[in-house]
Amino acid sequence: VSDQQTEFADFFQASWEPCLRAVVAIVGSLQLAEDQVAEAFAKAWASWPKVRRHPAPRAWVVRTALNAGASWWRRRGRELPLADHDPMASGDLDDGLDARLLTAICRLPPRQREVIALRIFLDLDTATIAGQLGIEAGTARMHLSRGVTALRRELTPTNNMEAGQ
Amino acid sequence: MNVHDELSDNEVLRAASKSLSALPMARPPDVGAIMARGRRRRRHRLSGVAALSVAAAGTALVLGLTGVLGPASARAPGTIRTASFTLVSNSNGTATLTINPNELLDAAALQNDLNQDGIPAMVTSGSFCSSDPAPTGFSQVVSFYPPPTSAFAQQQKGVHPTIAFSPAAMPAGTKLSFGVFQLDSGRQQADFELINVSSYTCTSTPPQGPDNGAQFQVGPTGPAGSATSSQGR
Repeated sequence: VSDQQTEFADFFQASWEPCLRAVVAIVGSLQLAEDQVAEAFAKAWASWPKVRRHPAPRAWVVRTALNAGASWWRRRGRELPLADHDPMASGDLDDGLDARLLTAICRLPPRQREVIALRIFLDLDTATIAGQLGIEAGTARMHLSRGVTALRRELTPTNNMEAGQ
Repeated sequence: MNVHDELSDNEVLRAASKSLSALPMARPPDVGAIMARGRRRRRHRLSGVAALSVAAAGTALVLGLTGVLGPASARAPGTIRTASFTLVSNSNGTATLTINPNELLDAAALQNDLNQDGIPAMVTSGSFCSSDPAPTGFSQVVSFYPPPTSAFAQQQKGVHPTIAFSPAAMPAGTKLSFGVFQLDSGRQQADFELINVSSYTCTSTPPQGPDNGAQFQVGPTGPAGSATSSQGR
């Protein structure tokens, strides 16, 4: 086994779950996300000499996964259904705050959701997020701020009281 | 979670992270398989350069064939995708069917793809077949997400119903019966339950509710589309 294979295997094991969670949060479907992330990791290995030098390889994988999904939908003459779709819910997930927050995340505009997913799961700063999404750092900060504001509403005592009634 | 009058950005992000982290993820695929897929992609990319000179003629041929055969399903190893559903074969022998709530089901494609994935199924359009008494064990064979009884499931628009199948749990001599009905609303209702292959009857009347199986509806309802679902025993 070459050093590069070992290096990629380590990267894969450490990065699979955070990348998958980020893509699930963005595309709203676990099954689609799994396939897209697997394809993105395959592409990462096919271009490993380049990807290993990337400043944020996990972000490269997530971006590639999202592009793969978008390409698939374009090939089928469809738009990627980001805005109107919610994530697969789990039987293990209770119906309380987590579910409401999940719903709120999925109702964010796509760009806000992307910025928040990259921040949460890849722990990227807004400058790096902006670079990955091809937008200005100020724009990324704006999306993050608006997304957080929308999520905060779900966490306020007023909403919790209403939900409990 | 403690809730304060004004949560900081970091607290909000932590809460969002916690909610998303509550979703269980499948184990990562084998890294060897991923690397093999990457190697195939690399070889394909290299050979693609050499093949460019014949691409134009090839494209014309493919376009011609597509016109005759219709659009093919997009396929990846272990995954079958159509416009109306995605069927994934899991390494543990189970299979997961994710329904696109905005698209009408293609009964023939669903039957073909379920059978290809080793799930004995009979998909009928405009009728539903059932056994009386129904075989036991439906809940061991089929899991439905989101749980049809959850408030979360009921509230969602655009949620992708996901059905997990465990073919190994199917009693001998049984099949999964799917009945797909076109409703006056333009939507479709799909009912499914276990049947005894040697003894079942079919009806052209859509069942009211699932006594021994599950039911969901798909199809256009507006900009977002929606899926509703319910499940019996």
